[in-house]
Amino acid sequence: MADAVIVVALLLVAASATAAVAARDPVRQALVLSVLGVVLAILFTVLQAPDVALSQLAVGSALTPLLLLLAVHKVRRRGRREGPRR
Amino acid sequence: MNGWILAAAVILAGGVGATVWGVATGPLRRRVVAQNLCTAFACPALLLLSQGYDRPSYVDLALVLALLGPVGTLVFARLLADELADDPPSAWGLTYAAAAVGALVVPAVCVAAGPSRAMAKLLFVGVLLIGGNVVASRALSGGFPEARHG
Repeated sequence: MADAVIVVALLLVAASATAAVAARDPVRQALVLSVLGVVLAILFTVLQAPDVALSQLAVGSALTPLLLLLAVHKVRRRGRREGPRR
Repeated sequence: MNGWILAAAVILAGGVGATVWGVATGPLRRRVVAQNLCTAFACPALLLLSQGYDRPSYVDLALVLALLGPVGTLVFARLLADELADDPPSAWGLTYAAAAVGALVVPAVCVAAGPSRAMAKLLFVGVLLIGGNVVASRALSGGFPEARHG
């Protein structure tokens, strides 16, 4: 019974990780990755590893989506600029 | 298993589970709202876990999440402004529901902590959580039009 919260966190991680793999559009994938970061941090907390969870929160909830979205933004803008020339 | 951890498990299964479902399916505007609500539900769960495990240092996790979650949502609101401009996602009912969960959990944890420095920290986390959540929702629903063409 005491492990119920661990089971819940593991199920959430499994569901969101599967969704992150299944998403085809990079923008939607960034959104799912951000949620996955938060859920992973909760799993680490439940498993009594708060320091790992702290770094996971910092990296997973804001930095990874920011990097992904900036990359998508740049690629799209370059595609738009060079598109008519082709 | 005490009541605090049970309450955290219920919030995780109900709130965060619903946001995982919302972020995995549906149109883009629904996914952005679900990503915003994920923070709002996970932060009270972390506070309850900290109380349930009797480790006051775990409150730092909730503090970092309350600080960085709205920042992540603002990143999405800024960089996806073109996609979201036609049909701005506004889910004020859900936002206030998530804020109500936070407003219920924070006083409960405060009462358990008793009047001390820890209680001031918990109140700070609560204010940061609810304020950040409302600001992020307002940004998503197009409340800051001047930021769009910055």
